[in-house]
Amino acid sequence: MNIPEFLTVFPKMGKVDYLAFKKAIDGAFRQFSRAYGDSIESFFDPVLYFLVNLEKLLQNTPWPIVIMVFLLLIYYGSRSIYLTVGSLAAFLFIAYFGMWQDTMSTVSIIGVCTLLAIGLGIPIGILMSGSDRVRSAVVPILDIMQTMPSFVYLIPVVMLLGIGKIPGLLAIIIYAIPPMIRLTDLGIREVDKEVLEAADAFGANRIQKLFRVQLPLALPTIFAGINQTIMMALAMVVIASMIGVRGLGQPVLKAISNQYLTMGLLNGFAIVVLAVIFDRVSQSFGKRLQQHRAGSRE
Amino acid sequence: MNFFKKSMISVVFAMGLGAFSTQANAACGSITVAEMNWASAEMLAHIDKVVLENGYGCEVELVPGSTMPTATSMMEKGEPDVAPELWINAVRIALDAATEEGRLHYAAEVFSDTGEEGWWIPQYIADANPDIQTVEDALNRADLFPHPEGDGAALYTCPSGWNCQLSTNNLFRAFGAEAKGFRLVDPGSGAGLSGAISKAYDQKEGWFGYYWAPTAILGKYPMKKLSFDVPHDNDEWNTCTSQEDCADPQKNSWVVSSVYTVVTDRFKKEAGVGMDYIVKRALPNSTINALLAWKEDNQATGEDAAMHFLSNYSEWHDWVDSSAKAKIQSAL
Repeated sequence: MNIPEFLTVFPKMGKVDYLAFKKAIDGAFRQFSRAYGDSIESFFDPVLYFLVNLEKLLQNTPWPIVIMVFLLLIYYGSRSIYLTVGSLAAFLFIAYFGMWQDTMSTVSIIGVCTLLAIGLGIPIGILMSGSDRVRSAVVPILDIMQTMPSFVYLIPVVMLLGIGKIPGLLAIIIYAIPPMIRLTDLGIREVDKEVLEAADAFGANRIQKLFRVQLPLALPTIFAGINQTIMMALAMVVIASMIGVRGLGQPVLKAISNQYLTMGLLNGFAIVVLAVIFDRVSQSFGKRLQQHRAGSRE
Repeated sequence: MNFFKKSMISVVFAMGLGAFSTQANAACGSITVAEMNWASAEMLAHIDKVVLENGYGCEVELVPGSTMPTATSMMEKGEPDVAPELWINAVRIALDAATEEGRLHYAAEVFSDTGEEGWWIPQYIADANPDIQTVEDALNRADLFPHPEGDGAALYTCPSGWNCQLSTNNLFRAFGAEAKGFRLVDPGSGAGLSGAISKAYDQKEGWFGYYWAPTAILGKYPMKKLSFDVPHDNDEWNTCTSQEDCADPQKNSWVVSSVYTVVTDRFKKEAGVGMDYIVKRALPNSTINALLAWKEDNQATGEDAAMHFLSNYSEWHDWVDSSAKAKIQSAL
């Protein structure tokens, strides 16, 4: 039996055309980078300035002060003595094994990324919750951001902005912002229709409804989003190190390529410890906000 | 009777197996070749695959690898059989031990001009500042090489975990670069380092740092290797410059980078004619650079580049005997 060739071999693009296609896109990107690289870079200068100085501040302040400030923040956030003492032990472990400087670098970039992700993600989530059309446009973009292998977009970013903090920051935010947006949208959409009708009946306008009714009721879900965003940002630490972001990722890379088991484990654990602290504090802070509301309603 | 029959069958079966395996040995058998994760090694691995499979009837499987993991695996487990392009400086001590024990063998130097490592600046910077000839000259011009994070100048070091990072960082200290306003930038990965070079090149910015040849990047972006301006001190290099805990690094020139094809003992003993080919295979850097530039221009894979080399270049004709040559040419 003879199967016709067009059934067994997919009629693919010719080699020459494919080459021309690849070259055209590469060339266009290169021209774009030549023309606009500088101005895009200067657009990010304020963020870079802030990041560099935050890192310097954390690294140059004497460690007991930094630890004290962190512990105060943790206690204020969680109101839990156990968590505070546990965090103290974790910080001492990190510092004793010589990972303090790297940890401070990681904390500074993760902190800034989380703040930016919250600052950008909540408004986008609000917009999405208000319009089904916006939602159907944004959701596929979020899917791409979460599943596209990081290096696919990292290399163009590096060619545009060089290596270091800003490309790292972009990579982390691209990966970490989707849960923030999704859960803000979800939280607002889940607010009871009847509650909104009641607000309408009291003559609340759109802004009042949003800030007095929808956002407060969506807060637990939004906090789950913040929590997820922090976790995903920490998961990107090693990838970010591959384009020159200082922090705990670099010793991990060094350990991987030299097969230094202990070094890899210690730095890996430092990332885990940071994640656990961030996670517990943000969760219990979110829970307390809820309790407070439940209490005042009764 | 039944027992006898069974054992007869197994004897015959075993003999068959034995015959089969000797035959396979004669035709060089199945071989694993490390396909390293950089362009020239990728191409060499594919050249080896085509030559060994078509010329000598071996079964070749390519295994992805990079310097440290592949070298470790070859020393510890004898797998893969061939590392076509191993930059042995990073693993020299362990490799020397393994070759002395006879577990591994240095088959041949694969680049006839040896590899080049060191600190480079883009050609356009060198042309605009003809007074920059040595590392010292460049370090005195901190204004030309701005740090990506604002203040000071930058020297791009080797990515985390690469052995050259230790040497670069020690030489950085030896030349007192910090006092001249320089800070080290760790690019994190090979992709990060080459990305930084192409970014600097596209925007015609200053760039100063570690790189090596032959590479596609140096085929595409002409760079100038700066002289360290001191004679190479091998003892200092082995005991201090390339060591993590070098207390007081001295100025030194970069060691000549030996790049060898390394094979396992099993390959040397069993591959026979394949080994003869591996020993002869060597290419000058100019050819490698031209091939890599071709590969880059055509966005080709290592396999395409190997095919391009075998169809359009004649260097390999001397590496194989005439019957193998005929077989390979007909396979192309």
